[in-house]
Amino acid sequence: MIVLHSLWSSHSNLCLWGEDSSLADGLFLGRSERLPRDGLPGAHPFACDLRSLREIVGEVGGELLLDDLAKTDLTLLLPSKRGAPQASPHLIFNEQENAREAATKITPWSTPSLALSPLDAITLMLSLPEGRSSTVSIGPSLIFFAEVVKLALEFVARGRVLPRLLKRGQEFQALWRAVADGTDDRERLRLLARAMPAMCRAESIEASVEGRAPGAIVRDMIDSLVDAFVRQTLTECPLLKASGKGRRATRGLTVESWLAALTARDPQVAGSPGELSELQKQLDEWARPASDATRNALRTCFRLAPPADDETSADEMSRKAQRTRGWRLEFLLQATDDQSLIIPADVVWKTRGDALTFSTLKLENPQEKLLEDLGRATRLYPALEAALRRARPVAMELDAEGAYGFLRAVAPLLEQSGFGVLLPSWWKKPAARIGVKLKVRPKDESGKDTSSGLLGLEGICNYEWEVALGDEKLSFDDFIKLAGLKMPLVKVRGQWVELKRDEIEAALAFFTKHGAAGEMTVGEALRVSSGVEASEVGLPVVAVEGLGWLGQLFGTDGEQRLSTIKTPRGFVGRLRPYQERGLSWLTFLGGLGLGACLADDMGLGKTAQLLAQLLAERQGDGATRKTRTGPTLLICPMSIVGNWQREAERFAPTLRIHVHHGAERLSGKKFARAAQKSDLVITTYALAARDRELLAGIVWHRAALDEAQNIKNPAAKQTQAVRSLRAAERVVLTGTPVENRLSELWSIMEFLNPGLLGSASGFRTRFANPIERYRDEEKASLLKRLTGPFILRRLKTDKSIIRDLPDKLEMKTFCNLTREQASLYQAVVDEMLEKIEESEGIERKGLVLSTLMKLKQVCNHPAHLLQDGSKLENRSGKLARLEELLEEILATNERVLCFTQFAEFGHRLKQHVQERTGREVLFLHGGTQKKVRDAMVARFQTEDGPHIFLLSLKAGGTGLNLTAANHVIHFDRWWNPAVEDQATDRAFRIGQKKNVQVRKFICVGTLEERIDQMIEQKKELAARIVGTGEAWLTELSTAQIREMVALSTDAVSE
Amino acid sequence: MSDWRYWDYEPTVRRKAKGGIKAKSQRGQIGETWWSRRFISLLESFDIGARLSRGRSYARSGQVTKLEINPGLVTARVQGSRPTPYKVRIEIKVLSNEDWNRVEEVMAGQALFMAKLFAGEMPHEIEEAFTASRLKLFPAGARDLETDCNCPDWSNPCKHLAATYYILAEKFDEDPFLIFAWRGRRKEQLIERLRTLRGSIAEPSDSASEQESLDLPEDAPPLLDCLSDFWGTGLNLSGLRISPRAVSLPEILLRQLGQPPLEVRGRNVADILEPAYKRMTAAAERKAFGGTS
Repeated sequence: MIVLHSLWSSHSNLCLWGEDSSLADGLFLGRSERLPRDGLPGAHPFACDLRSLREIVGEVGGELLLDDLAKTDLTLLLPSKRGAPQASPHLIFNEQENAREAATKITPWSTPSLALSPLDAITLMLSLPEGRSSTVSIGPSLIFFAEVVKLALEFVARGRVLPRLLKRGQEFQALWRAVADGTDDRERLRLLARAMPAMCRAESIEASVEGRAPGAIVRDMIDSLVDAFVRQTLTECPLLKASGKGRRATRGLTVESWLAALTARDPQVAGSPGELSELQKQLDEWARPASDATRNALRTCFRLAPPADDETSADEMSRKAQRTRGWRLEFLLQATDDQSLIIPADVVWKTRGDALTFSTLKLENPQEKLLEDLGRATRLYPALEAALRRARPVAMELDAEGAYGFLRAVAPLLEQSGFGVLLPSWWKKPAARIGVKLKVRPKDESGKDTSSGLLGLEGICNYEWEVALGDEKLSFDDFIKLAGLKMPLVKVRGQWVELKRDEIEAALAFFTKHGAAGEMTVGEALRVSSGVEASEVGLPVVAVEGLGWLGQLFGTDGEQRLSTIKTPRGFVGRLRPYQERGLSWLTFLGGLGLGACLADDMGLGKTAQLLAQLLAERQGDGATRKTRTGPTLLICPMSIVGNWQREAERFAPTLRIHVHHGAERLSGKKFARAAQKSDLVITTYALAARDRELLAGIVWHRAALDEAQNIKNPAAKQTQAVRSLRAAERVVLTGTPVENRLSELWSIMEFLNPGLLGSASGFRTRFANPIERYRDEEKASLLKRLTGPFILRRLKTDKSIIRDLPDKLEMKTFCNLTREQASLYQAVVDEMLEKIEESEGIERKGLVLSTLMKLKQVCNHPAHLLQDGSKLENRSGKLARLEELLEEILATNERVLCFTQFAEFGHRLKQHVQERTGREVLFLHGGTQKKVRDAMVARFQTEDGPHIFLLSLKAGGTGLNLTAANHVIHFDRWWNPAVEDQATDRAFRIGQKKNVQVRKFICVGTLEERIDQMIEQKKELAARIVGTGEAWLTELSTAQIREMVALSTDAVSE
Repeated sequence: MSDWRYWDYEPTVRRKAKGGIKAKSQRGQIGETWWSRRFISLLESFDIGARLSRGRSYARSGQVTKLEINPGLVTARVQGSRPTPYKVRIEIKVLSNEDWNRVEEVMAGQALFMAKLFAGEMPHEIEEAFTASRLKLFPAGARDLETDCNCPDWSNPCKHLAATYYILAEKFDEDPFLIFAWRGRRKEQLIERLRTLRGSIAEPSDSASEQESLDLPEDAPPLLDCLSDFWGTGLNLSGLRISPRAVSLPEILLRQLGQPPLEVRGRNVADILEPAYKRMTAAAERKAFGGTS
């Protein structure tokens, strides 16, 4: 694993370097000084080499061309101890424990690095992946510089750049520079300078160990990025057409050379130094007011005040009653850092002396400042000139039209130019606008069966438009009267309201032509109501009201308002109240042909809810229904096929289940017949792709996906295959918060309700990039409104859920064997059965115990049995399940204890999990020193401690207090419930504030499952005989043992 | 060449001047603003033939080595063919204090005058302010000026004078206050007088600051003091809002700054720059929101 770091160098490029955990692993820290005696920087001992750096950049760099990256040698100033640089906290490696304290110094280290030009830096920073992957962790320095890149682009997008002529050494250069405006830019720049990680300043320059100034780095980076970006944008279209040959001969075309150099690759401007410095002076003088605005404590501010209230007229819809005059635009000085501090112009005009003191502020020459600002403002707002035709102007009178023009067009211009603008508070409030309310009702309300005639998003509903003023309804008569006023700002019911002429006219035209009612599809209604699509009416949609079942769909609390379906007959056990609501919600959306995503927190029983739905829809099959409900196809990862099978057998034994897996799986007509005779067909994502034709040949009642992150790549075969399934209903179950992973959200929605979110690339530019790159809250809430009706996510921390949950939730997690595991398992069993007949006494006991041990190892992992150090990936069902669970646990920022009884295998597990998750894994085993153990426990319990704690059952099963974890996983079993419970109690004890979820891993169809059944069946017996450990197993008869270890056919799922 | 006269002919070559003031406008007309045009059009009305273009060329090549503007008098040195530069004088009648008082009263009465002047523009309304007091700001003809050059050319204005006129016009472009200074009121005096008239007494100060782009702190805490979070694990930028959306008026900054006194091929530099702003703002938005991650 590599942690990627970066810094903006003194050569104005972005230097990338990395730390490589595989190099750090072997490093023995704490030897003698590594610093060579001549004082030259030593080579960074675990810095990533150039080849791996290029690989990583290729992986995360989007469209970046690797060939363009130059290698540079970077000397970094890093905190160092005992002759080696310290590793960043993001680097997960096996550090040698060293109790001896040593002082930290700042030492230079020579480090290989790749240098990116400003343009490449922009491309890289915009394509950085979110979070970490198993191979690369994006360090905070990159996250930081990504924000600088975005701000630089913002300066350009806002047009806040100016061409300059600057002297660099003896050379004059034509450069584009960002111009900060007012306080906001200034504050953001300062925020960036303050927040800059020290690492970003660690370039060693001329043997100083102080580090560069953050302000200088931010400034140089923004300047370089802005110049490079603007220059590149304009290379294709120079500012001046190339001049003819004859003209070129004339000498001293300084300004032309300057303009040409602004878009050329080389910024140098040729010309005589005298002329160039003269031009520089002129340009500086010209640009001065733009940057001045940021430096002054006070700025000129315009405040628009509506006409004073007079008696309210009875008939406000008449033009006479509306005040057309009396708006005032007041001139003020405003403090830039405290915008509530304002000084009216008349105070300024009355100033005696050359400075104005106001509160804590002192302003030199306030009158001249105000005059100059007003003069500048006339360029943006020529109408202002009229008001300046007096000695001491304090305000400007405006009529309604003028005021409206100011609000709409002038105020934003002034604001962007660094002037203060104070507008009435009602402006920009929704109540200040006229809009329409959309009322939708189901097309056919007579029939009670809501599902009749609806085809998902294409279903038709009736709509009606209502004109609204804020929250209030406005009759059409009143609307027409208002429109007749032909005034942009009117006062209605004591409220100033903006009437946009084009909107009003569009709406009048629409209503005249189409009337206020009609038909639209459910999808259209959703898009219009969420604001993604503009309404045809022309007026903004301010509210949506759904009637009938559409009310439940559009409501924010849809699940709460549905009539609850009780636990169906045939369900073993009782659904919890929130599960019954979930069942009702699934049934409601399914009935409408709309896809549903059940995204409840892990452990809340998503499986049970879906199984209950299958039972519920079969109640009354036969007698009351004309047709039987068809089969549901469930697609899940290989690792949980067995779990689904077992859960279905446990909760819904009446359901007929067909598992489609393995080499012997059915095909063609046989499969079709088996599927038609089943209620639930279970298969894997891999097979969904491989048997695509077969599965697409059947019309399913429902297609359901579990662990839907498997379809997050839209181009992948399995995603395509899954989307091509034909099903009346679609359901997705997922335990990870989909709202945080937008590409996954798109994939899921495209499966559930195709077309709702538009194309993948459109979704990226419209929603994903604004939300992920710029934290665009408006877009995020828009997306939430659009997808909200189709996602039900309850958290175990929700008040209404906590009530229904026990403090400790024990679950069995059934895993499958891989084919490799199964054949190893069978070999171990065969070997034992061969020998057991001939052995007796101690020998037999030993044979049974060692066989049990081997079988347990196989169930864990083939490499565990073979002890051959082979790779761990994709060879064990348990390990796959563990990885999936960890992903969900980490996604919700919770912590987990994972117990195994095998310390040696634990080491490998730790290493593997660290690599997969990119997170530190603590591992406590019998060989851990007490001091180290105490330190681990203390770290795990701290707020920012590691999230995964692996413990050997013997060393960690007792005594410790690990309440920071609310998940416990028993990776393998010690067939003794008391021992397991004791281990579980490390987390489930006084001090635990959350519900604890305990999962015991069991391999389906193996001895693990059978011993578990025995313990369950004979709890009281077990408590007696099991007390001493696993020795009781050796007392079983050979026949019993044979039965117990036999491998059943459903063990494998591949 | 009907107006060619033999004494116009000067067989000698002008000497190259060192450190002369070169006209910024190297092509087309000199004098960009309406107020300097007013001044140049006077010169051009004198009908002095080729001297005009030679004067322009003198101005452009930096033959005018020194130019001072004092109340009533502009003096300049112009390098001609002789080793010693010629002395050039352009005199104008200084307005009396009373005259100025009258003008200042009018100017103080409307904030617009100083507002525009501070923003670098001579307000069009300035002529109203002068005519209201039966005065003229700009010389209307030859009789309003007293000019002199010690060169052998008989013509007045000669090319040296013409060059001086051009350089002077550019000075006026840059700082319209200089016209007032020539007529007897220095900028500081005027500001102070107007402030007094407006009802306050104070000294102006030089507000021109050196602007090296973005204003950011220069301090750098030593790295050794940053060990607690050297790598930035605690980096939190959630308070930072960045929205690189293209603005509706891309060239707003150009509008705000007005036109610089720079022209190329008859177009002001601000107009030449304007299309670039449209392109760059749109390109930045595309870049900022496009692509995949």
